[in-house]
Amino acid sequence: MRKIIKYFLVAVSVSSMIAACTDSKEYETSYCTLVDISGTYSAEKKGVVNIVKAGILPKMIPGDSLFFVKIDSNSYSEENLVTKLTLDYRPTQANNQKLILSKKLDKFGKGKAKSRMTDISGAMMLCSDYLKATRSGTQVIFIFSDMREELPAGVVRKFADDEFAGIDIAAMNVIKLKKDSANPEVYRKRMRKWDQLFTSSGANSWTTLLDATKIEEFIYGVK
Amino acid sequence: MRNLLEPYYLLPDMPGISIAIWVATSMLFLFFAREPMHKLILVFSDSTAGGLRKMATWIKKSADKMREKDRKVLLESGLAKVQGEILQEFHKIDTANTKALAGYPELQLKLDESISRIDDDFQVCGQVTPEAPGWSDVVETIARAQGSSGDRIIEKMLGEIHKSAISGEKKALAELREVAGKRHKILGSMAPVWKRIEKLGKEINSKVDKVMENSRNMDKYMKQYEKLSGSGVESIDMLASKMTKLFIISLIVIFVGLVGAFVNFNLIALPMSELVPAGTRVMGLAVSEVSALVIVALELMLGIFLFEAVGVTHTFPQIANMTLGKRRVILYGAFFGLLFLSLVEASLAILREHLAEAKTALDLSLAGESATMADTIDSNITVIGQAMLGFVLPWILAVIAIPLEMFIEASQHAFAKFYTLFITLVCHLANVVAYIIEGFFKILIHVFDIYIIVPLQIYKMFKGKPLGAS
Repeated sequence: MRKIIKYFLVAVSVSSMIAACTDSKEYETSYCTLVDISGTYSAEKKGVVNIVKAGILPKMIPGDSLFFVKIDSNSYSEENLVTKLTLDYRPTQANNQKLILSKKLDKFGKGKAKSRMTDISGAMMLCSDYLKATRSGTQVIFIFSDMREELPAGVVRKFADDEFAGIDIAAMNVIKLKKDSANPEVYRKRMRKWDQLFTSSGANSWTTLLDATKIEEFIYGVK
Repeated sequence: MRNLLEPYYLLPDMPGISIAIWVATSMLFLFFAREPMHKLILVFSDSTAGGLRKMATWIKKSADKMREKDRKVLLESGLAKVQGEILQEFHKIDTANTKALAGYPELQLKLDESISRIDDDFQVCGQVTPEAPGWSDVVETIARAQGSSGDRIIEKMLGEIHKSAISGEKKALAELREVAGKRHKILGSMAPVWKRIEKLGKEINSKVDKVMENSRNMDKYMKQYEKLSGSGVESIDMLASKMTKLFIISLIVIFVGLVGAFVNFNLIALPMSELVPAGTRVMGLAVSEVSALVIVALELMLGIFLFEAVGVTHTFPQIANMTLGKRRVILYGAFFGLLFLSLVEASLAILREHLAEAKTALDLSLAGESATMADTIDSNITVIGQAMLGFVLPWILAVIAIPLEMFIEASQHAFAKFYTLFITLVCHLANVVAYIIEGFFKILIHVFDIYIIVPLQIYKMFKGKPLGAS
């Protein structure tokens, strides 16, 4: 009887140890950054790149991923993915990767790419696809845009019910348009519409960050 | 309320009378059912309060057993400790005696030599016998005899005898002086031998004193042993107090040691991610963090073996019973293992600082700024500090082996004490609840009797005595 108990305990210990070995994906964070290059917002590219470099990149730890997506007239396309990065588990390698990415972002910031229409939903859907593929425990989308969508004719965008399940969304550096300044209610109504759209599609949270210094606090909050 | 009772009214037009009839009927029924009702209430009381009381008794027995077991363990450990001390003292005496007795033949030889020298000298003094004195009387007698006979021949003979007597006296005196001088010389050469004997005597005294001191210690330990063997309450209290004190002190030291281990872990966790990069986690910890924890645990383990091999701790009897050679192998193994790990930690601490510097520089460059000179100077100091910390912390961690042994020794008594206290409290609580339940059921019986007071009084009137309690 004692032997049976002994073997049982050993089996339980070994199986629990095997079960305890898990993939570290759930402890990792994936970020997707959307940058609007349409209309007046295209002038903000450089500023957005600086915010990403100073605010998001330093907060990334080994194992984290970043997708940098531009918002243009038809954003649901692989071409819209400017660059992507998954940090190595070695800190020195991760630092090198960050440096290379920062150079790529600088190049993008200096570029003259510009679009006529704004397909925010398409870019969001693209981001959602990339983030889900990472299976990271924390998934975050940062939108740098004026949040005014203008879809070209024939482009249809409809979010699935679980489109943003498990994703935290934050709008950053939302500049006000002339109409917004004339009537703030227009701006507020537009933001409420997005809020309703994202939350009804399963988003964990929807926030508007007015200041770049709040990024760190936001990241720690969602982790 | 009225609607609810209405179907039960025997006389719907007279609710008061209806209720009175129901009350009277129920009184009558309950009067006849008094005994089984009382029994029913008592059964309820027994099954609840009685159960609790039984549980309290069982808990009390369990607590007593635990106390007795703890007492025995305390006594045994106390006796074992004193026995160990007595053995140690015996060992000391044995060593001292062996040392003293090892020198004793030499001492004896020296003493014998000195005594035989004194004896020889004494013999020599006895052998050199001086010439018998009395020459002056002979010379004086002959001198007086001269000239008294009147015979020239006799006078001449006497004169010759007188002369030879004088020369004999002179010779005898010279010989006497020579012999006396020899004796003085022999006696003079005996003085250092006496001093040597005196010194040897003092040596013997000091060795005897040491043996006496060890014997006094032995007496002290034997008294303690006898006191403990007597299993008196005082000795148990003394042992319990000692154990509690030991438990608290070891707990504090272990807590401080654990804080040190935490600092140590944080010092090496980051650089370990550079050496052991992996995406797998074990119980929520990255493999690099687990590796750092393993290093810290290894340091603690090597510390335990080190102190075990030195003989400071006695956690593993197998090691304590090993031969000196084998223990020395373990000692060197643990020592060099610790040295290796402390060197690894020192280098990891340096790597950590470099990684931190690189990250700061990267963050600054991403923010569009550059590092200043002051940062570089500061970082050198930090590198040295961290390297030293990395080298020293494993040795400090290794010392935890001592309080750990104390903790293990004292924890059995401490846990037994806490457990006994806890179950005694549960026992008292169970008794209190049982008392309250019993009181409640007693009150219920009285309330029942109050309800049927009218039939009870009627019964008393007819029978002339009250109905007995169930």
